[in-house]
Amino acid sequence: MTAARGGGACLVGVGETRYAKWGGITDASEYELALEAILAAVADAGLTVDDVDGLASFAEDRNDATFVAADLGLPELRYAGLSWLPGGGGACAAVANAVAAVESGTAEVVVVYRSLCQGQFRRFGRGPGNAPAAGGRRVPHVRRARSILDAHVAFTMPFGVFGPPIAYAMVLQRHMHRFGTTAEHMGHVAVTTRAHAARNRRAVMGGRPMTMDDYMASRMVSEPFRLFDCCLENDGACAVVVTSTARAADTAKAPVAVLGAAQGTLRGFGHGQYSNVSMPDDDYASAGARGVAARLWEAAGLGPADVDVAQIYDHFTGLVLLSLEDFGFCGRGEGGPMAASGALAWPGGALPTNTHGGSLSEAYIHGLNHVVEGVRQLRGESTCQVDGAETCLVTSAAGVPTSALVLGRR
Amino acid sequence: MTARWFPDEMPVPAASAETAGWWEAAAAHRLVVQSCRACGATRHPPGPVCPACRSTAWEWTTLPGTGTVYTYTVVHQAFIPALADTVPYVVAVVELDGGAGTRLVSNLVDVHPAEAAVGARVEVVWEDMGPDLALPRFRLLSATAGGGGAS
Repeated sequence: MTAARGGGACLVGVGETRYAKWGGITDASEYELALEAILAAVADAGLTVDDVDGLASFAEDRNDATFVAADLGLPELRYAGLSWLPGGGGACAAVANAVAAVESGTAEVVVVYRSLCQGQFRRFGRGPGNAPAAGGRRVPHVRRARSILDAHVAFTMPFGVFGPPIAYAMVLQRHMHRFGTTAEHMGHVAVTTRAHAARNRRAVMGGRPMTMDDYMASRMVSEPFRLFDCCLENDGACAVVVTSTARAADTAKAPVAVLGAAQGTLRGFGHGQYSNVSMPDDDYASAGARGVAARLWEAAGLGPADVDVAQIYDHFTGLVLLSLEDFGFCGRGEGGPMAASGALAWPGGALPTNTHGGSLSEAYIHGLNHVVEGVRQLRGESTCQVDGAETCLVTSAAGVPTSALVLGRR
Repeated sequence: MTARWFPDEMPVPAASAETAGWWEAAAAHRLVVQSCRACGATRHPPGPVCPACRSTAWEWTTLPGTGTVYTYTVVHQAFIPALADTVPYVVAVVELDGGAGTRLVSNLVDVHPAEAAVGARVEVVWEDMGPDLALPRFRLLSATAGGGGAS
């Protein structure tokens, strides 16, 4: 990606469907929403579907690019990329892969998309697969694994780890033990993000203001995570259009550059703390993104001090604190105090973060909506616009193999 | 039949070619860890190749069944209806004695949630879920209470 510095490909269009709480969209399928979001992003770019020759997404997508291409009538599909990075870890990687496809000449206009209608499928809050049978007595037994992940989560699910909130609660508990991180530290992330959402008419929780007292009063899910530490479960889709810098000269709005990108994971980090708990202590109580962060800053030729605004993956409040540490905005164990200082708040904070309301309050679209918000900030279109923003950090999920981007004005 | 702490409706484990032996040992109430026969490194969950030296030769090492709580969470939400009478329950990561740093996700049982703590010393207790399935849970080493009942 170093070759891309300031370079060969840009983000030229963003689009989304309406966002609604879990089960709120019943008149369109998740697949239809994916196509709607792609059409909206292409229109935002001032292009047509006849210009699109590439599609990209990331692991666990139900909406195959080959069907998308057929049903949208793409003249010719030249690139169909899927990042292996799981769930929310892959949004930034999918964008980076689209950039690489354009820069290599494999395709000219690539749309990155994600659609997530949890009301039409199983809830992520119920964990991966392995759902208990409904009704009827049965004898518990060992069954044959359907996948590597299935065999790995066998070491967590039968012990009552039904989903990410429980697994990552233990990461935060370890962080609290080592560094003194508190519930109030996490509460600052929840309250600040909700305040940003209040200005965003797309946000699922836009009309629901939250105080620190509200946060503290929300019910406990898995200590130390309360309900308001956990992201939304919802229905919606969004998409981002990537094309060459040359082609971008003809698009509708100011193109946004990818100044740097990085993806991957640390040795021994495995699939993340959800299924591997034997990693080194410094990695367990972290976002697992130190390697990605180091390569990101190297690729961009920038550092944390150069970032004007950030969109940091927020499946859980506490993991935002860990990402702040891994990406170098503060020292180890200082993420909580940094949030409590007001640093993440728009407009006055040192690092306004999740200016759309994030996954906690805008929508949970596996973090692709964080890329959308990054583009809006650099166009001057955000509902919490940072004056003169020229650089935006976007990160994908903490606690799994992950990816990140630094976006910039061209 | 050993004590029961969790309902039959809990998710059942799935075994792969590499992990089946771990579950077979558990059914016999043996807590094991996969060890590389070339370099001795341990790994969990079990896999076909040693990540340290890339050897495919491995064996099961039986552990003493004691350990230390590395981290934990008290789960308050009943994610399946059958857990309504079990919550709150404690999920813990236990660093296993003799496991060279290997940790296991399990539960603390016969413990009040407020007693759960990082650094607590624990020992394995087995819960027979079915004829071929036993799960290792842990209780505080200082605990003298018998098993049974949700805690």
